[in-house]
Amino acid sequence: MSHPEDLLAGYVDGTLDERERAAVDAHLLGCARCGVEVRQAEAARAVLAELENVPVPFGVTGPVLAEAGRRFERRPGVVWGRFQWAAGLAAAAALVVVVALNVGGEDARDAAAPERTTAVAGGTGAAIPGAIPFAGLERQTDVNYDDAGIRAVASEAAGAVLAAEDARATQTALAGAVQESKERTDLARDCVDRSGVRGPNDVLIRLIEARLEGTPAFIGVYSEGPGAGQAPDHIVVFVVATDDCRILSTASQRIPSG
Amino acid sequence: MPDPPARDEDLVRRYLSGDRAAFAALVERHERRVYNLALRMTGREEDARDATQDAFLTVLGKLSSFRGEAAFTTWLHRVTVNACYDLLRKRQRAPLLERGDDDLPALEPPPAPDHADASSLSMDVQRALLQVPEDFRAVMILHDVHDLRQEEVAAIVGVPIGTVKSRLHRGRIALARAMGIEQQERVLEDPKDPPVAGGSPGAAPGAPRSGERADAAGSSEGTVSP
Repeated sequence: MSHPEDLLAGYVDGTLDERERAAVDAHLLGCARCGVEVRQAEAARAVLAELENVPVPFGVTGPVLAEAGRRFERRPGVVWGRFQWAAGLAAAAALVVVVALNVGGEDARDAAAPERTTAVAGGTGAAIPGAIPFAGLERQTDVNYDDAGIRAVASEAAGAVLAAEDARATQTALAGAVQESKERTDLARDCVDRSGVRGPNDVLIRLIEARLEGTPAFIGVYSEGPGAGQAPDHIVVFVVATDDCRILSTASQRIPSG
Repeated sequence: MPDPPARDEDLVRRYLSGDRAAFAALVERHERRVYNLALRMTGREEDARDATQDAFLTVLGKLSSFRGEAAFTTWLHRVTVNACYDLLRKRQRAPLLERGDDDLPALEPPPAPDHADASSLSMDVQRALLQVPEDFRAVMILHDVHDLRQEEVAAIVGVPIGTVKSRLHRGRIALARAMGIEQQERVLEDPKDPPVAGGSPGAAPGAPRSGERADAAGSSEGTVSP
């Protein structure tokens, strides 16, 4: 007996036309085997239809976005020094991002001594050219960033690292004027770290609470380097939502060799 | 947001013309679908994570050659399924049920799904899925879980639509049998015309795996055709 195998999936799905369906019905009257198969297929289809999508765990796509950022920097035509630093500062200014590179630096360092210890693990950070002390969470909840603004943050950090390499004696925290509590800082730090993208030589140098296109967000700025006391060569910025720590955006910026 | 969401193909163009955020938008839009497809195909979070990353990295690397002949989602699904195949091959997880291997003994238990959220994922179904041959599994997941049409599935896996129809039907039967549903139906079979895929014809029904049969029988009874 030949069986209408090509039609049975459509029969189960109810997508056959009338003629095809009638042909299958007629066949089923005399074929127990196909009757069993149809019932099994219906049962399988029913259980599969009940499967629900699960949420994507944190950190799954973070490395992809980080890699995308790195590749983007290597694209022909993306040239550091020609315009990005100036453009970054201009964008930052336009967004009224008040950054105190030097002003208030002492206070900032005092306020965040524990974080700084962590950021420059082992106390060796002071000897690394381009090291930037971490100064706690900056409150910028009235600032609404867009992607250009995030890129500006990355550019700005790259410029600061470069400046720190040039003037090794004065390592200045990259921090805005308003600092959050240590509890809030720890929460923000944990949230950004959950993106799972940090490499062993990534160092958090800046953390901001603001908004990204309206969504409350933490912005983590990391310097990334080859380790072994070498100066960092990349800045990576991750923006995560404050409510569930999902990644909202990312940016990376190569630090030009001084 | 008042603006309608950008089409995938427009996001690709924007990325290629210098808008880095466009790729992040593509990833955000599709990560759930890609991850869940990979999770169903591989059955393990760790593997789904790797396959998802492999798929998006492949897409990232080939975006510049994306010409839009196929829909972006078709391409993304194809890349994801291939990433799963590669990963499964790497893990050397041979499927336990092959067409015609009617009395194949259990060589080794399939890897147990390690998903903790039992409320959103049926462990029994996932375990049974892993026993269905990969080619059949892929077609079935794309069609029955992700609700893609047979034509779309054919484009994704790169086979004629007749093959999709056949794999879909065979895959469903293999899944039902992996869940123990064939045991209940066996009495109805014509002994001279045994089923084609899976099962153990002629043999006395073995002891069903505990915990599976009752559920499976219930499902079957609830969906029998008039």
